[in-house]
Formats: sequence, structure tokens, C-alpha cells
Amino acid sequence: MLTKKVKKRVSFLSLLLIFLVIAVFFILKSLTSNILYFKSPTDIQLSQDVISKKKIRVGGMVKKNSIKINNQEIKFVITDFKNEIYVSYSGTVPNLFSEGKGVVAEGKLKDKNFFVADRILAKHDENYMPPELKDLMKTNVK
Amino acid sequence: MIQNFISMNGYGFFVWLSFAITFLACGIVYYKTYKTLKKYEKDFAKELDQLSEAERKLVLEKSKVASQFLASYNKSI
Amino acid sequence: MLDLINPSRIFNLIEKLINFINSIFFVLLIIALTFALVLSPPDYLQGDSVRIMYVHVPSAWIGLASFTAIALLSILSFVFKIKNLNLITKSIAPIGLLFTCIAIITGSLWGQPTWGTWWAWDARITSMLILSIFYILFILTHKLIEKEDKANKVSNIIAIIGLINIPVIRYSVDWWNTLHQPSSIKLDGTSSIHPSMLLPLMLMLLVLLLYCALILLMKYKTEIIRIKKKNIKRI
Repeated sequence: MLTKKVKKRVSFLSLLLIFLVIAVFFILKSLTSNILYFKSPTDIQLSQDVISKKKIRVGGMVKKNSIKINNQEIKFVITDFKNEIYVSYSGTVPNLFSEGKGVVAEGKLKDKNFFVADRILAKHDENYMPPELKDLMKTNVK
Repeated sequence: MIQNFISMNGYGFFVWLSFAITFLACGIVYYKTYKTLKKYEKDFAKELDQLSEAERKLVLEKSKVASQFLASYNKSI
Repeated sequence: MLDLINPSRIFNLIEKLINFINSIFFVLLIIALTFALVLSPPDYLQGDSVRIMYVHVPSAWIGLASFTAIALLSILSFVFKIKNLNLITKSIAPIGLLFTCIAIITGSLWGQPTWGTWWAWDARITSMLILSIFYILFILTHKLIEKEDKANKVSNIIAIIGLINIPVIRYSVDWWNTLHQPSSIKLDGTSSIHPSMLLPLMLMLLVLLLYCALILLMKYKTEIIRIKKKNIKRI
């Protein structure tokens, strides 16, 4: 079965695949900053050049008890449990936006600790359960 | 209750639209696939029909698919 | 093994399978839809929009699985030059494209109420879009290249190149920050979906898989007849 021609084609394919995997790996590696949909507060703390003109996205958890609403403005804190960033936003938020849940804010940095958002996206987690179960868990925790 | 089922607590539009798109798309693909299959079956049967008696005998003898096809096709008409 | 893909041996079997699937399909569809739309509970956070998951997730899985199957068969076909395998990959491709597109569209319909946007250029969604482009390229080579041998060869290479994209899609949510949530059902079998929601998901998966099998069989039958018709003078 393994004639010379078959062997030739197998080696051609293996070379092609190895080459492709390496190429794709380096392309993705060099594009990492573009592929990341959002930066975490830690990324922003660590970054050297904070260009305040450019639009960026910051994502993490909405810190518990940090949402303050006055008039049209919503202020809250995005945290990744290492660093935090203050966000101010005016406009409507998605239904799933709430404390302790994931969020992605799109807008501009004022400085490393303060972010002015012009769009808020809610980030969902991978857990799915009926409401009764959630209530049960809450009462158990208490 | 029915009202609630249709509105899905405000998500009705998105839920129903996504189910509708899924089943509509599947339905269209099924219909097209079915049509193409029937067209090919018809053409094939016609071509077998147009062969001379001796040729057809040879084809049916040599090709299992052709004979099986003709058997089931004649049954379905 | 080769007997299994020999058209003359399985031609009758295809006919029987098509009839069998047709007979049970609608019963299963109604059961699955009842579970998905009526009996399953809404999510504690997403409410009823979670029901979109019951078409979105199986579609995405089928889109990924179909391409993996096409790519693996393409490798075999390319190495051993087995022509019948190309009839199968050609039959799978439209199904994969259909379900990849359904996954993208229903995902967008889910994203609007949950995330607050129809579309995001995050890694998962973009790589899914690339998958659909690979499907289109694969199908187009068969449509545009007249010579069958050449079309097979080119489409095989396209499928093999596209194979690289599959792990990228699968692990995109783990490798990079994405708006899309991580996988709920892990490869080791653990799941963070409550059983009352997992059941309709699996039922819908079963129904859609049966649908795929039905289309695949019909398309494969069409391909066999097309080949036999072309070679009628030679048989």
C-alpha cells in the first residue's frame, strides 16, 4: 500500500502542515494586541504608553457595591481582582450589566485609573442555571 | 400564559427569529437537495431507458447501482 | 473499511436510512422543540434568551465537526487518491456551511439582548467567520474548476489548510480575552450547564444531527447517480 508516491504525498502534507502551524503561530503571536478584544486593568497599569486619544476596551468584573448612578451618569469600578479602574458612562446599559458580573467598556482613558466609556457591553459567563437554583444557592451561602 | 410564551419576557423577537431562521434555512436546503436528487434520478432513469435493449442489459448486469436504482425507482413511481 | 464507501454496496442502505430518518424525524423534532421552548426553565441571568443557545450551540458544533470531517477525509483522499471520499466531502460541505452561518446569525441574535451588540470582532466570532470563508472556498473550487481531478486536489488542500483554524476556534476563548464566554461543556465531559438545560440542548443536537445525516445521504446519493450517469457508456 505504501508506494513511493504515497510516501511522497505524506511527506508533502506533513511539511505543509508543520509550516502552516508555525506560520499561523507567529502571525497570531504578532497580532496578539489586535486579537485581544479588551484589556484588563492590570494590562493598563503595566502598559508604558497610555495614549489617551485612542479608543480602547477595558474588561473585567464590575466591583461589588461600586455602581453609583446620579442623573444620566453611571460610575462603577472594573476590577480583575489585582487592579482596578474607575469608569464613568452615560447612556443605557445592557440588561445583564450588574455588580459582580463581567463587563467590557469601550471608550478612552483619562489616565491609568480613570476611564470614560461611550459604550458598555455585558460579558456573560459560562454558567447556565434556572432561577430557582440560583436562589437556593444564595440562601445556602447566607 | 400564551402571551407569555410568545413574548418570552421581552426576548420573544430574538428567540423566535433565531428558531425561525434555523428551521427556514434547513427547510430550504432540504427542499433544494430533494429537488436535485429527484432531477438526477429522473435523468438517469431516462438515460437508462434510451439505451438499446442489449446495452441496457449489459449496464444492469455490470453495475449494481444501476440495477438497484432502477428497482427502487420503478417502485416509487 | 473501503467496502463502507463503495457506492454499489451501500446504495440500497442509503435508501433504507433515508426512509428510517424520515419516519422518526418529526416526532423527535417536536419533542426537542417542546423541551427547548416550553419545558426548560429560563436562565437566572439571561431569562428566556437562553433558548437561543439550543440552536446556536449545536449549529456551531456541527459546523466545526463537519469541517474536521472534511479535512480528515481530504487528507486520506489526498494521500491515497480515493475518489469516493471526495464525493463524501462534497456532500458534507454545504451542511457545514449552512450550520456555520446559522451559528453566526443566531449568535448575533443572542448577542444583541445579552451583550448589547450584534457583532464584535473578538477572536471566537472572527475565527468562526473565517471558517465559513473556508467552506465557501471549498464549495467554489468544485463549482469553478471543471476538471474533476484538479478540483478534488485543490479542495483537498483548502480543507487541510483550513484544519489549522479548528483548534484556533476551539481555544480562542481560552487563549485571548474575548467577549464570547468560555466553553460550558469541556472536552473532559464536565459541564457548567444545569441538567434541565442540558437535556434540550442534547435533544436539539440529536435532531440537527439526524437532519445532517438526511441531507448527507441525499447528497451522496445524488453524487453517486451523477457519477454513474456520466459513466453510463463505460459500465
